[in-house]
Amino acid sequence: MKLWVLAVLISFAGYSLSEEENVARLLASKNVLNQYLVEGRDLTVQYTIFNIGGSAALDVNLKEESFPEQDFEVVKGNLNVKWERIAPGTNVSHVVVLRPLQFGYFNFTAAEVSYKPSENAASAVVGFTSAPGEGGIVGSKDFDRKFSPHVLDWLVFAIMTLPSLTIPFLLFYRSKSRYDTPKPKKN
Amino acid sequence: MSSKKDKAQKSLTKEEELLLQDFSRNVSTKSSALFYGNALIVSAIPIWLFWRIHQMDLYQSGILFAVGTLVSTYLVAFAYKNVKFVLKHKIAQKREDAVTREMTKKFSDDKKMTRKERDERILWKKNEVADYEATTFSIFYNNAFYLVLLILCSFYVLKNFSPMFNYLMSVGLAAGLLALFSTSNK
Repeated sequence: MKLWVLAVLISFAGYSLSEEENVARLLASKNVLNQYLVEGRDLTVQYTIFNIGGSAALDVNLKEESFPEQDFEVVKGNLNVKWERIAPGTNVSHVVVLRPLQFGYFNFTAAEVSYKPSENAASAVVGFTSAPGEGGIVGSKDFDRKFSPHVLDWLVFAIMTLPSLTIPFLLFYRSKSRYDTPKPKKN
Repeated sequence: MSSKKDKAQKSLTKEEELLLQDFSRNVSTKSSALFYGNALIVSAIPIWLFWRIHQMDLYQSGILFAVGTLVSTYLVAFAYKNVKFVLKHKIAQKREDAVTREMTKKFSDDKKMTRKERDERILWKKNEVADYEATTFSIFYNNAFYLVLLILCSFYVLKNFSPMFNYLMSVGLAAGLLALFSTSNK
């Protein structure tokens, strides 16, 4: 009896393993590539999908719905992408460039990935990418205050201060050179 | 006899007036206007820096800027007066010979002028030259010192504080230190 149960279990495991070899299995990651997230400046999100299964994944759909239109503007790329097939043991990547329209803390959540694990599969498998987590979007004023070189502003400041400094000095120097007693030369 | 006394009193009064002017810290109305005008200009210039570089909004911070500018104007004008007073005596001593030479040359042909009148005119001219040079140098020196202090405070010492606090402290410190250093007698 015990032997018979063991044999059934082993055959079931063997069947599962063999089943694994013939189906696709996708792992998806979502990464924000920016070091600084700034309001009004580009934000790059990279999606990478790895097929670790034994068969090609078919009708792969990546659906990104976690960036509301009123908070993020799409600069380049699509938030909904389709791949017809991803071969086993390969990966594909996709990049979207967004622009945050507001500053503050934003929770970067997972995007949805759906695919057919094999040609005969009845329904699509739905999975999720990794979630980058909470990120702080810095306001553009604070960022400029910290990082912008402000070359033109300093130049204008220098020009503005010149009259206050040069005019008094020139007037003083003119009078000084008129009335200065030359120092007696030592022989 | 009374007319002679009056004349003597008058000439004494003129000399006394000149001496009083020399040793008093009070400046004439014209000098005062010049000092306050320059102080206002130099106190208003940092507003540009805080608006463009610290990204402070002009309208929101308008009252703050106005208060800061007024306080700074008063302190900078105070510094101008003090530095001018200290410099005037030093400059007068240095320019004495050159002014005397120039005025003597000017009045050498005028035989009608008495020696006393000539000395008075030389003294007056010396005072005028010293006053002018002390005023202009005081304005230049204090302006330069104020701007250097302000930039050091705002962009190094108080770099990481909020813009409003940065403005108040930078302007206050710069003008305050300027006024403090101007009270030294050397």
